[in-house]
Amino acid sequence: MTQRLQIGLVFITMSMGFGFLQYPNLIFKITKTGHFVVVLSYGLLQMFLMIIYKKGLNYFPKQDIIDIYLKMGRWVAFIFLIPYVLNLTALVAMSLRQHAENIGSIFLSRTPDWSILILLLFISTFTAIKGLGTILRSSFFIFFIVNFLVLFVVISSIVNVDFKNALPAYPSSLDFLTKKDFFYLMGFSSILFLGFVPPETKLKFGQLFAEWTYVIFFYLAVVYLPLFIFGQETVVTFHFPAKDAVDSVDINWFIFNQQTIFFGMSMVGLTILLNAVLLWIIGQIIRKLFNWQRNKPSYWICAFSLIAFIFAVSVPNLAWIEKLSLWSAGVHAYFIVIIPFTIFIYGVIANRGMTGYENK
Amino acid sequence: MKINSYVRIIVALISLILLSGCWDIKEIDKRNFPLIIGISKENKEEYKVSLHIPTSEKGGKMSRTVSQKGTNVSSILGQLRTNIEDAVYYKQVRLIIIQNKLANDKEDLSELIKFLMKSKELPSIALIAITEENIEKMFSNINGKHFSHTTSIIDYFYKGADWAPEISTTRIWEVYRSLFSYTKDIAIPVVNSGKDTILNYEGAAILKNGKITEKINPSENQFVILFKNHNANGIIENLGNASIMVTNSSLKIKPSMLTSEPIVSSNLSLKIDILERKEGVTNDQIQSKLEKQFKKQFYDMLDKAQKNKTDIFGFGQHFRNQIPFHELKNWREEYYPNLKVNFQVHVIIE
Repeated sequence: MTQRLQIGLVFITMSMGFGFLQYPNLIFKITKTGHFVVVLSYGLLQMFLMIIYKKGLNYFPKQDIIDIYLKMGRWVAFIFLIPYVLNLTALVAMSLRQHAENIGSIFLSRTPDWSILILLLFISTFTAIKGLGTILRSSFFIFFIVNFLVLFVVISSIVNVDFKNALPAYPSSLDFLTKKDFFYLMGFSSILFLGFVPPETKLKFGQLFAEWTYVIFFYLAVVYLPLFIFGQETVVTFHFPAKDAVDSVDINWFIFNQQTIFFGMSMVGLTILLNAVLLWIIGQIIRKLFNWQRNKPSYWICAFSLIAFIFAVSVPNLAWIEKLSLWSAGVHAYFIVIIPFTIFIYGVIANRGMTGYENK
Repeated sequence: MKINSYVRIIVALISLILLSGCWDIKEIDKRNFPLIIGISKENKEEYKVSLHIPTSEKGGKMSRTVSQKGTNVSSILGQLRTNIEDAVYYKQVRLIIIQNKLANDKEDLSELIKFLMKSKELPSIALIAITEENIEKMFSNINGKHFSHTTSIIDYFYKGADWAPEISTTRIWEVYRSLFSYTKDIAIPVVNSGKDTILNYEGAAILKNGKITEKINPSENQFVILFKNHNANGIIENLGNASIMVTNSSLKIKPSMLTSEPIVSSNLSLKIDILERKEGVTNDQIQSKLEKQFKKQFYDMLDKAQKNKTDIFGFGQHFRNQIPFHELKNWREEYYPNLKVNFQVHVIIE
């Protein structure tokens, strides 16, 4: 039971880590009015995919998705999972670089990006090497600390809020559903993680639903905070609207003269856990795909985090990072759609074959 | 095995050093924190930036002024950093004073505001003000006052609503927002150096998408602040035969739309204290006089603002829900000049 709860917390923390910086920016690009409709329809779509994924996984009670793909055939597993590993590496690299850059601009203005990057990557890699147990246990602390900070940031920003800035409240049309950016949005979710956790402790639908609701409320908060403060006309000019919204708060009596540091601190917590999980997934996939001797996941995790580091450091500037991280999120979105469906379809076919066999 | 665990502990302890995040640290007494930055334009190409930096020396002057010229503000800030003896940190800047000549140029002002907002080093919560004077003269005037200390100029703006209801405090991010906003304009305080006081408050300049369209005096600015905060506490009015102070107020605004003609009915109710009155003046007389005076001031301002197509009261904000978003950018041009406001004042004497 506690493990189930911990998995839920990891799931929530990962989703928050994915979306904290970039999610609002994309939403503001997609629509000019009625932002909550976009967030909610994104939530519904994710929920639908999650149900498909869960249904598919339930056909194979004792297996995670790597086993399922291996069952389909070694080549199928390679075709689906190796690109996924590359995508995860790119995600790790881009998200860490982006976060390093932001954390640097908030409270380490004289420190070069690569040293912040090393620190973040080092902790993430270390956690990933220690395995799922460590990730689950640390998720508990990170979840509570980060959520406390986020809550503080949201509440303290209320002084500058003008609700009228978010009007008109309803969207003029629903054609955002066909936009390319809406597809990118799908990349900000962690549903694939659910297929990698030990099969004995599978989450129930009710719990999944509760967790996803929590995430949606978080996304609504990050989208609406900048909107209430600046309004749609201004908010599109920002790279990281949530950060600028938090930056606008001046609490004279407060010991810290800049409460953006709390925003930065919560980002550190989120990004470390998120990337630890991604690296751990990479390790799992490679370990199961290659049956070599002396094949330890920790070597692979180190190797891939090194690749991610080199990749992240060699990106020249912020405009590039944004473009690349959007692309990697786009590829992630592709996997988020394709993996649940293949698992589900294979589950249906395999199950029908089995029952057919039993009927004979 | 045992050695291994010792090594681990040592490595863990060493990595604690990293936690401090000290890359190359500079002690606080070796840093300069400019509190005020003055920006002016000398001629077409050249900007001039002056920093007002408090110093901690005892006995000497409490602050000093450093100026530099250059082609753009960011490069001047960099040059200043090079030329000043110690490290300069701009994160603590509390006030940015812009010279009149620069502020009157729409392009220059918008560019400057965008730079101030996007700059990582300058805080977006710094206050902003416009001056008609030479900035260096202004700073030296501050230093010349024997009672002044380095933070006086900041205290000047942070008096709070109760003590100085005419002063508007406007921050960089608010001005930045107004550059883009379709439905709201903003007032920036105008200050000059005073004879006996540090600064003299001259009123406010109203900015419409980065362009100054009109200047208003302090008592007019009271109204702007009233509509911004929905609060008029502390306003003192002279009615000729009496003077009063507003102790409590509330403002209700109700927008409605009649076939593309916006109508606002706003009710202001004031609770007042009578500070002094001439003999024989009744409460009723004071009430009706005050109501009349407030109404006249308001309608005069509104007329002027509508002619300038500048929405100083931010009435457009109330219509955001009634006009579709793509129409909203025409608010100032098409809807606002037709706006009818029904302004009612109710006075209660305590």
